[in-house]
Amino acid sequence: MKFKTLFIKELREMLNLQTLMVMIISVLVLSLAGQTMAKAVRDNAETMMDINICDQDGTAFTENMIKILKANLAKYGGRVNVVEIESDDYPKELKKADVKSVLIIPAGFTENVKNSECAEVKSVQRLTSLASMSNLNAGSQTAVEYLTAAVKEVVFGSKVSANKLTNSEVEFLNQPLVLKETTVVTDKSYDVQASVIVQMCSVQAMLVPIVLFVLVMMSSNMILNAISTEKVDKTLETLLSTPVSRISVITAKMLSAAVVAAMQAAVYMFGARHMMNGIINTTDNSDYSEAMKALGLTMNAGQYALVGVQMFLSILIALSVALILGVLASDAKTAQTMTLPIMMCTMIPYMLSMFIDIKTLSPVTKYLVYAIPFTHSFMASENAMFGNLNVYAGGLVYQVVFLAVCLFVALRIFMSDRIFTMSIGGGKRRGRTSE
Amino acid sequence: MDKGNVLEVRGLSKQYKKGVYASEKVTFDVRKGEIFALIGPNGAGKTTTIRMIATLLQATEGDAQVSGHSILTEPEKVRRCITYLPDEAGAYKTMKGIDYLRFMAELYAENKEEAEKYVATGREICELGDRLNDKIASYSRGMQRKLLLARAIMSRPDLAILDEPTSGLDIINALEIRRMIKKLAMDGMSFLLSSHNMLEIEYVSDRVGIIAGGHLLETGTPAELIGKYRADNLEDVFELVVMKKDMEG
Repeated sequence: MKFKTLFIKELREMLNLQTLMVMIISVLVLSLAGQTMAKAVRDNAETMMDINICDQDGTAFTENMIKILKANLAKYGGRVNVVEIESDDYPKELKKADVKSVLIIPAGFTENVKNSECAEVKSVQRLTSLASMSNLNAGSQTAVEYLTAAVKEVVFGSKVSANKLTNSEVEFLNQPLVLKETTVVTDKSYDVQASVIVQMCSVQAMLVPIVLFVLVMMSSNMILNAISTEKVDKTLETLLSTPVSRISVITAKMLSAAVVAAMQAAVYMFGARHMMNGIINTTDNSDYSEAMKALGLTMNAGQYALVGVQMFLSILIALSVALILGVLASDAKTAQTMTLPIMMCTMIPYMLSMFIDIKTLSPVTKYLVYAIPFTHSFMASENAMFGNLNVYAGGLVYQVVFLAVCLFVALRIFMSDRIFTMSIGGGKRRGRTSE
Repeated sequence: MDKGNVLEVRGLSKQYKKGVYASEKVTFDVRKGEIFALIGPNGAGKTTTIRMIATLLQATEGDAQVSGHSILTEPEKVRRCITYLPDEAGAYKTMKGIDYLRFMAELYAENKEEAEKYVATGREICELGDRLNDKIASYSRGMQRKLLLARAIMSRPDLAILDEPTSGLDIINALEIRRMIKKLAMDGMSFLLSSHNMLEIEYVSDRVGIIAGGHLLETGTPAELIGKYRADNLEDVFELVVMKKDMEG
């Protein structure tokens, strides 16, 4: 009985309207993010089996292989798009053909097969994002399997049935095709497997968002607590009645939080860079690290600076939003709840950027996600690495404008009576202040 | 502004929304070295009036002048002449008492020497001794209030605005504070007090203003008001004035 009374009292205190609101909003936001990701997965699945193929050999054998390939891939909903690749300048050729990847059957392919010599097939893939779902392409792999099967069929048909198989031909049958992979990033290309590059980059790509997420949450919590505690403890009234301007008070708070956040950002980025160098420069990965350098995927000081600028802007935005939200808090519990909007606005782009290339979302969804100012910082390292300077610049301008608006609103609140009269939670504020 | 007045409040009003006044056309003066107390029931408009004078809230009508400076046009100059101790005010709990005094002193002082002088005065007033080197979080409510009072008085402002100055203090400490306020007033410092404690007001105040429903209904010395209403004490006067106001609607 006594325990039940205690339990109900605790439950009532914890399960208040604010907690319920947090739950409802979390569910809504997460399901929205889930829907966006589900759509991206569906879109990806629809094109996953599609391949672009370039027949540089142009023999009856290769034409026939492509026909069989078309028929086989069609069973899985895949399409074969024949494109022209005229030179080894793959960045330029992919751009010209307007494709992200291509499978090239080089000249002399049929001749090699006829001579039972290992034939080469080239796979060229352009990386535009490091999001895990943006580089899924099962079509090329399936195509290589079908090409291998087709080659084997020819060899079996012409030689095995005639009982004329030599030892070297048996060896050839074990591996009739060699896949030579080339990865293209912006205007650079390197003979390396794209999936390995994505794996290598994923550490780098994930590190910045994690650091950013932590920093935004920490700095916004700092300022939110600073303001709400001053309000709740009634130290703010004393402070604002001293001979200092309100702008000085707000600037001192913002600046100190920004300095701490900037120090944290610098330390994290310094650590991150060293960690990345540690991973990339190990002996085992030396070939791949060379490839990453050649593809421009190891960030230089300038690129780190670009990422740093957007991270710092995100922190400042979080600080100014937290400043406004801190004014609304009437007690410690409300102050904690106030971090929710910032947390949600950080989590959505954080999760989306890990899985999907935000640039490829439908226009409405894309601009909705872009409207969240933190999105641009989550995309910053990718934009810097892949040379998406227009997207970077657009994001930067948006963040600066957003920050200016937030600072203006925060200043307006701080300079007016609203600093004392605005509140959420804790009952009717005005009644308490207008005694 | 009358040279003998430190504070002149003229028709000061605060309207939150159309027709809803927290404080309406409040007019009174506080003379140099005078202790003026605003008394009234909860929600009467005492804190709103005080907050407007302390430049925390903006008046919607009227004005007030502190040492010749308007709260509307020269709020920063007004803040140089006043100190404000809100009711239930807190101090920064992570600071040591002495650091809090120093922090506040530096906000009021023009230079380091002046700040140190304020700190020395504050240390003397609060009588917390070595406990000043402890974190404020470890202070009792009474100790914290004494520290806050010392902070409000140490810079010897023209006008100290104290909302419930002795709330949370035991009888001995409250008596000490009242004596201190009286002594400082005799030295020329002016006080604007707000309190629910009628005994305290009767003992400490030179003049009293009774406020209810946002209107200042009566002003005068405790003796004048007691005589006017043929009451036994200020508490009875307060009850009669507020009841009269309620009956008038």
